[in-house]
Amino acid sequence: MSNVWLPCGLYHQKYSEDHGWWQTPVIKGKMILLLVLVFIVFPFTLTGYWFGVANMIGYTAMGALGVQLLIGYAGLVTLGHAAFIAVGAYTSALMILHFPWPRFLIDWGLAYPISIIISGILAGIWSVLFGLPSAKVKGFYLILTTMAAQFITVDFLITQYISQIGGRGQAFSLPPGTIKIGPWIIDGELKTYLLMAVLLTLSVTVVANLLRSKVGRAWIAIRDNDIAAETIGINIIWYKLLNFFVAGFIAGLAGAFWISNTAALSPEHFPWFWSLWLVGVILIGGIGSIHGVIFGSIFMVIVMELIQYGVMLLSDVYPDLMIKFLYIKESVFGLVICVFLIFEPRGLSYRWWQIKNYFNLWPFSY
Amino acid sequence: MAVSNGFQLQVDNISMAFGGVQALSNISFGVKKGEIFSIIGPNGAGKTVLLNCINGLYHPQKGEIYFEGQPISKLKPHKRAEMGISRTFQKIELFKGTTVLDNIRLGRHIHLKSGLISGSIYAGKTAREEIEHRDFIEREIIDLLEIEHIRDKVVGMLPYGLQKRVELARALALNPKIILLDEPLAGLNLEEVEDMARFILDINEEERWKTTCVLVEHDMGVVMDISHRVISLNFGEKIAEGTPAEIQSNPSVIKAYLGEVEDLYATRR
Repeated sequence: MSNVWLPCGLYHQKYSEDHGWWQTPVIKGKMILLLVLVFIVFPFTLTGYWFGVANMIGYTAMGALGVQLLIGYAGLVTLGHAAFIAVGAYTSALMILHFPWPRFLIDWGLAYPISIIISGILAGIWSVLFGLPSAKVKGFYLILTTMAAQFITVDFLITQYISQIGGRGQAFSLPPGTIKIGPWIIDGELKTYLLMAVLLTLSVTVVANLLRSKVGRAWIAIRDNDIAAETIGINIIWYKLLNFFVAGFIAGLAGAFWISNTAALSPEHFPWFWSLWLVGVILIGGIGSIHGVIFGSIFMVIVMELIQYGVMLLSDVYPDLMIKFLYIKESVFGLVICVFLIFEPRGLSYRWWQIKNYFNLWPFSY
Repeated sequence: MAVSNGFQLQVDNISMAFGGVQALSNISFGVKKGEIFSIIGPNGAGKTVLLNCINGLYHPQKGEIYFEGQPISKLKPHKRAEMGISRTFQKIELFKGTTVLDNIRLGRHIHLKSGLISGSIYAGKTAREEIEHRDFIEREIIDLLEIEHIRDKVVGMLPYGLQKRVELARALALNPKIILLDEPLAGLNLEEVEDMARFILDINEEERWKTTCVLVEHDMGVVMDISHRVISLNFGEKIAEGTPAEIQSNPSVIKAYLGEVEDLYATRR
């Protein structure tokens, strides 16, 4: 009795086996192989361009993971997640540039790791602040309050005030050597890739663990039926705010990672379109599934890279295409969402689930 | 007058109106510990509103509700659940996207201790706690309600009768002191009705549970068979209270259900 297909003759003997993530030797082997691939094989085999793609996938996935928590697991529709990523990025950058660190912390390379955690917490608190209306409103009305987060945070506070700190105009740039973890200076693509892989693995682990414990179940209960959730003793306001906090925390981590990837920071990195994009990622990947976040991010980033490649090829014939790339990107985004909503409304993760089931029963599928 | 007469749950003179509709007017009654207490009445009599008031989904405009001597009418539903009030719904209100087991686990919510940080690490105490509660659910609830075969099924896919049973399982997982059952038999076939009635008696009588049951039901056969005491509502007013036998012979109850005797003649003619 388990929620995965077990091969013939394999039975769980203890409840702990049934509660585990990786329930059969095959799954365990597969996941260890994946970790080996991500942490050992890729760092040695990828080249510059592909590290960039992988970092973009990781950054998208971390943002989308927060959106998935809000929309997919608690039913809190959000269209302002880029704001919390921005809060994380700016907190981390400002702490590195302007915080009076004691000398030894900089020497030991702890300034950036500490700023990652602080930016996670601050982005979480900022997210809770804009989550407060969820105590009273839901659905379409909540979309408006989260959009307010986007416009107040990025378009007003950050553009008008925070990005003026230091008096160097709109963009912050982080001098080389300031982003440092322990003895390693995060400068090359390989190091940012490893940082991304670690942060993403940690966030996915935390979310997956939460979802099989008390807190995550309470979120799912609120998503499915908030009245019943209240009558079985779930304090729905508290758990909604907790959800906003965790989603904001992960967004903050993503933002703090982003500055190591670009070494520069400007409000244009966090437009409202990026919030919409993250929602699109989980729509394509599948709502209510962690697999969906990863699949959606990989799909969207790869598709965009392919389009860019195609446009570059065609630009000899039609030079206009290069100029209008932004429009092409946005219309393809819209088209992909439409295609998915019509033909695969449950997203890539559902397709994955179907393929897995097919092979679980193959070749005797009856 | 709160605790003086040994009632576990006491409803004291509550009134509730929705705009111009008086859903409840000056209702008072008490439920003793360990009894099966039924609320009957024609459609629209205010039975579900009364349960919602006890449970906290509605707040009565007048009057007070006492649970084990404490006034509770200002408390939110989740606080009342922590005090030991649990309920099922007339229209099934399960968490449709999750499995039967997860629904019952959610019923254990108030007994679990893990928080955000311990839950995200999920080692040691949290993992042990999950296993302990899983053991409780398997031993006490799934076994009692005979739903072993569906524990990993997604709730939304189950037939109606089983969904009703899962809802009872979830309410029971709270380990409640009092359980409010809103039409647990509605829409069930004869066999399922018999099963459900047996479960209600089990919950009420077994040494392990000894839970007080407040039952809202239209199936008079079952109500009269299993309840200790019954009240009857009509248009938001209490018209009778007593043992099943007293209720059955009460003229105003008969009138509420069947109409005036002269009306009967009028329709026949």
